[in-house]
Amino acid sequence: MFGYVLPALDKPDEENRRSFQAAYCGLCHTLGRRYGLASRLFLNYDLTFLVMLLGRSCDASPRRCPVHPIRPRPCACESESLDTAADVSVILLWWQLQDGIADHTFLRGLKYRTASVLLGRAYKRARERQPGFDASTRDYLARLRQLELEKCPSLDRPADCFASLLAGIADCETDPSRRRVLEQMLYHLGRWIYLVDAADDLRDDLRSGCYNPVAVRYGLRDGVLTDEGKRALACTLDQSIRQMAAAFELADFGDYSSVIESVVYHGLYQVGAAVLDGTFRRGGKREQG
Amino acid sequence: MRDPYQVLGVPSTATDEEIKKAYRNLARKYHPDNYHDNPLADLAQERMKEINEAYEAIQSQRKHKSAGSAYSYGYGTGYGASAGTSGGPRQRIRDAIAQGDLNLADELLNAQTSRDAEWFFLKGTIFRRRGWMDDALDYFETAVQMDPENAEYRYALENMQGRRGTYQPDGYRAMTTAGCGSDTMRNICGAMLCLNCLSGSGWYFCC
Repeated sequence: MFGYVLPALDKPDEENRRSFQAAYCGLCHTLGRRYGLASRLFLNYDLTFLVMLLGRSCDASPRRCPVHPIRPRPCACESESLDTAADVSVILLWWQLQDGIADHTFLRGLKYRTASVLLGRAYKRARERQPGFDASTRDYLARLRQLELEKCPSLDRPADCFASLLAGIADCETDPSRRRVLEQMLYHLGRWIYLVDAADDLRDDLRSGCYNPVAVRYGLRDGVLTDEGKRALACTLDQSIRQMAAAFELADFGDYSSVIESVVYHGLYQVGAAVLDGTFRRGGKREQG
Repeated sequence: MRDPYQVLGVPSTATDEEIKKAYRNLARKYHPDNYHDNPLADLAQERMKEINEAYEAIQSQRKHKSAGSAYSYGYGTGYGASAGTSGGPRQRIRDAIAQGDLNLADELLNAQTSRDAEWFFLKGTIFRRRGWMDDALDYFETAVQMDPENAEYRYALENMQGRRGTYQPDGYRAMTTAGCGSDTMRNICGAMLCLNCLSGSGWYFCC
C-alpha cells in the first residue's frame, strides 16, 4: 500500500533531493538503531514523507551504511520526531503485513508471514512505545475489513478509515494549531494513498475477486476505468491534494518546506496520473506478466 | 506583534514595489477561496489578518498612508452571514457547521423532513468539511440540479470540480491529475532510478 508519495519528478532540484535523501537515510538509521536490521528492509518513500511532516529540521551529517560503504550520504540527525516516525512506521508496516496474511491463502501469503516473523520483535517494541497509535490502527483496520466484507459501495467510507488512521499520527504534536494542520494533511494523504492504491490494484482485485472500492463505485467489470470514471476519480484525488496544499501553507515545515511543497503542488498529481493511465510501475509490471 | 517585515517575508530594505508584491502573493495564498469549507479556515483567516496588519503597519511607517489599505482581502463571517434564505432550524445547522460541530449539524439535518436543494447543499457541506469529497460532490450536484439559479450552491459545486482558480507558489503551474501528460511515466521511472541511486535501499513492499 506504500510507495506513492514522491516529490516533483520532472524538475530535479539539488536542495530538494538532498533533504529528501537526508530524511530517507535518517529514518533508515533510526530504524536500525531502534529496531534492528530487519526493519530497515521495509523502508519506503511514503514513510520518508512522514519524517518530513513530523520533523522541522534536517541538520544533516554525512554517514556511511552497508548500502553506501564508501561515499557517505547526508543523513538527518537523531531527533524525537525521527524516533516517532520510526515507531509509527514499524506499527504501520506490521499491520500491513497482517492484512496481507489475511488476504492470501497460506502459500501465497508465505512472504507476508516470513516478513511478519522478521518484524515481530520490532513491532512488540514499537507497540510498547506507541500503545495509543497501535490500538487505533488496529481498530481502524478492523473497521476497514468490515466495510470490505460488506462490499461497501462508497469511496469515502473505506477511505475515511485509512485516512483517520494516518491522521492519528498527528496526536504526537503538542502545539494545537500545528496538530490541526498535520491532522488535515495526514487525513488527505491517507485518503489519497488509499484511493490511488485501489486504482492501482484494480485489475488484480477483479481477477482475484477481492473487494475494490473503485471498481464498486464506478461499476467496473473488466478492471479498466472508463474515461468518465477516470475523470471523476481524478477530480476527487485533486480535492485531497488541494486540501493538503492548503493545510501545508498554514504551518512551518522548516528545512523540509521546499520538498513538501513539490510533493503537494506537483508530485502527487503526476503519480496519480500515472496510476490512472496504468503506466505506474506496478501497473507496468502487470502488463508484462 | 511580530516584525511586519518578517510577516511579509521581506527585508526591511525592500522597495515599496517588492513589499506590495510579497503582500499580494501572501494574500493570494491565504485567500478565502482557497479555504472554502475547510476545517482550517480559521487559521487561514488569522494569517490573513496578520498579513493585512503587517502591510498596513509598513505603509504607515513609510508614510504612504494614502496608498495603505488600497486593497485588504478579508474573510466574510461565514455561514451565519451567507445564509439568509431561511431562518430557524436551517440557521442552526449552518451555525453548527460554522462552529465545526459536524455531528450536531448532521443530526439536525437528518431530523428535517423536507429534502430540498438547501438540504442537499448542507449535507454536501458537512461531507466536504469531513474530507469526504466524492459524497460531497454528489450532494452538491443534486442541490444545483434542484436549484440551478442559486449562486451559493453553484459556487460550492464549481469549487469541488476544481473549476475555480487555486493558488500555486512561484515556479509551479496549475495542475490536475487528469491534465498530466502521457510522458509522466517516463519521468517517474527516471526519477525513481535517480532516487534509488541516491538513497540506496529503496526496497518496495508490494502487496
